[in-house]
Amino acid sequence: MLAKFAIVRKCTLRKLASTSISPKLTDVLIVGGGPAGLTLAAALKSTPKLQHLKTTLVDASDLMGKVAPFYDCPPENFTNRVVSLTPPSKSFIETKAGAKMLEDRIQPYDGMYVTDGLTNSTLDMERESMAYMVELLNIQSSLLKRIKEMNLPDESLRLLDNTKVANIEHSDPEDITSWPIVTLDNGDVFKTRLLVGADGFNSPVRKFSEIESRGWFYNRFGLVATMKLEYPPYKLRGWQRFLPTGPIAHLTLPDNNATLVWSTTESLSRLLREITPEQFTGLVNAAFVLEDSDLKYYYCQLEKGAISTEELLEDINFRTEQVYDSLENDDLIDEVYPPRVKSVLGPSRARFPLKMFHADTYCKDRIALVGDAAHTTHPLAGQGLNMGQGDVEALVKALENASMRGLDIGSLLSLQPFWAERYPINNMLLGMTDKLHKIYSTDFTPVVALRSLGVDVINKFGPLKDLISGTLSDSGR
Amino acid sequence: MISRAALKRLVPRLRFGAANLRFKTTSASEDEIGHFQELAPSWWDINGSQRILHLMNNTRLDFIQRNIRQNVKVDYPDTYIPGFQYKAFFPQRVSQEIENDLELKITEKLEKSKFDVLDIGCGGGILAECLARLPITRRVTGIDLTPEVIKVAREHSSKDPVLNGKLEYRLQALEEVEEKYDLVTCFEMLEHVDVPAEILRHAWMKLKPQGFLFLSTINRDLISWFTTIFMGEYVLRVVPVGTHHLNKYIKSSEIKEWFQENEPNTHKVLDAKGVMYYPFNGWAEHDCPDVGNYFMAIKKLD
Repeated sequence: MLAKFAIVRKCTLRKLASTSISPKLTDVLIVGGGPAGLTLAAALKSTPKLQHLKTTLVDASDLMGKVAPFYDCPPENFTNRVVSLTPPSKSFIETKAGAKMLEDRIQPYDGMYVTDGLTNSTLDMERESMAYMVELLNIQSSLLKRIKEMNLPDESLRLLDNTKVANIEHSDPEDITSWPIVTLDNGDVFKTRLLVGADGFNSPVRKFSEIESRGWFYNRFGLVATMKLEYPPYKLRGWQRFLPTGPIAHLTLPDNNATLVWSTTESLSRLLREITPEQFTGLVNAAFVLEDSDLKYYYCQLEKGAISTEELLEDINFRTEQVYDSLENDDLIDEVYPPRVKSVLGPSRARFPLKMFHADTYCKDRIALVGDAAHTTHPLAGQGLNMGQGDVEALVKALENASMRGLDIGSLLSLQPFWAERYPINNMLLGMTDKLHKIYSTDFTPVVALRSLGVDVINKFGPLKDLISGTLSDSGR
Repeated sequence: MISRAALKRLVPRLRFGAANLRFKTTSASEDEIGHFQELAPSWWDINGSQRILHLMNNTRLDFIQRNIRQNVKVDYPDTYIPGFQYKAFFPQRVSQEIENDLELKITEKLEKSKFDVLDIGCGGGILAECLARLPITRRVTGIDLTPEVIKVAREHSSKDPVLNGKLEYRLQALEEVEEKYDLVTCFEMLEHVDVPAEILRHAWMKLKPQGFLFLSTINRDLISWFTTIFMGEYVLRVVPVGTHHLNKYIKSSEIKEWFQENEPNTHKVLDAKGVMYYPFNGWAEHDCPDVGNYFMAIKKLD
């Protein structure tokens, strides 16, 4: 039945494609209006050598209605999807794509303080403006603003939101170098010289290209939330603690705001989303200070509903004070623990599955993949979005060269340098993140002892520490 | 490795121009035409036997673009051209804008005076297609003597709507071409003809005053034999066997001598660069045009 439906659907689509007068020609068709897709569109139109390319961007969401207004009237509270933007990514968005993000909603931070939840061995990386915490909506809306301000005619840049790709096929099924024909669910048909998949993990463009993507799910979920702090942070840095269930990260935003990424097991992530905001706030504060066994006890009690909010908070406070008292002096509290969280914005809690996937290649004739369509990573190193920006930068560079050389910008010859530049860097970052996750997701004593020893050595050995913080800060570029 | 007979032929060939005249002075031998006939089907497979040529084409276009763009003087009063190393002093945003502005003005100027282009020995059209896609060309004509490659070139160019009406291929000898051009290119072909001097003479005749002639070939020396024939054809096998013949190579000094003798006051050598293939990295220019492969840009003065 389903198969039959599929065939009927395919037939109607083909009919749609063949009966419509003739497909509109475009040079670059970008599927996906996330940060990677929008940056690419804005960068193409801002680059003298590429301005002439007819560009079309298709996105399923309501970009103009829901994303764009953020720029002119941003909400008072910070939104929950916040990313770490490294200096090269920020400078690329500003200079090449020409977008100006809302500076008062960006927080530069000067280092990361990473601790082991089992042994408290510490890696304290200091680096001025190591990266910037930015809301995803800030990036997207500033790019949309930039595109709007360029005031381009429809044939130069066409932005189609609320639109899905219904079908992709080669104009000549026998010839893989022929221009793809993309049918949209609003009935529009495009024939494109280059099809860019910026369409995320389940990329339809990648499926059409038959490029294999390999990897695995971590069987873990990431939980994000927006938090209000009791007082603005004493040190502008990111805090990350590796619990056996996954890392919890407290990342700073302007004033007394902060954002949280808590990677944990499936069942725990569900529990953490369901408990009251007050209970959740207590647990976040506890997670950076108390021992793993204490946390396990709280999880267990909350699961059973055997503990009231007052009891929980009282117990956490009591134990926290005990830990504080064990420190040499009170100044250390601000040095080794993140500022205490006052409240969590209730509806801001959201969770998503964590995984690592990498496509075998990022390009084929007429196809290029950027961002999550080409690779997805665990958020623990804050590299995901920056890898996508690196892809776009390399793709723009490859297209600039190809265009100066008069090459067909959709040909594999034009696209190969983009892949050759990005694959090794992304592979390194993905591998590094994956190994970190694996080393820290165990409580097997020898591994815990070894990793703690390793971290202590790195922490004392400056050049190696600089190398690591440098790699994180420039995303391997 | 080189036979005695071949060594004997290692004498300047350009001056002998008229000595072995055939039916058409600018034609190639049957062997050469046959060789390229065999290569025709895989001409556009960028991972196939012509990959190294596709990669070299990138370097050719960089060379052509640079020489043309360097010859443009931007003299608009409203364009600010800092007379110093502005990139070191201005913030990135500002210097990027200056660069973009300059870039656009050069393109604007070039697009006003569009070039008519003749590509001699166009083969499957690797260079001709690229030239035709550039916004600074009005019309590109590619000529070759192997019917099969012309067919491949026409078929391939029909796939790109941008080339429609801008690019034309002809099965024609150079001396039969009647029009005059602003840009004449003659890449990797002088080493495949019997009388290169005749090609030069005719190519020069087809050039309008102030026009550019771009050519490339290979120095006749042991290094070239080692890189292009021994390594390229037999060891690395990145070039089809039988593509090159050492005795047909031409030294860059011989080209310069020919111009000194025949066009003493009407030419200017704008640039001469050696080019070298690095496995994994592709081709790159170097400053020694007397060794191995080389590119040359020559401008016709009034």
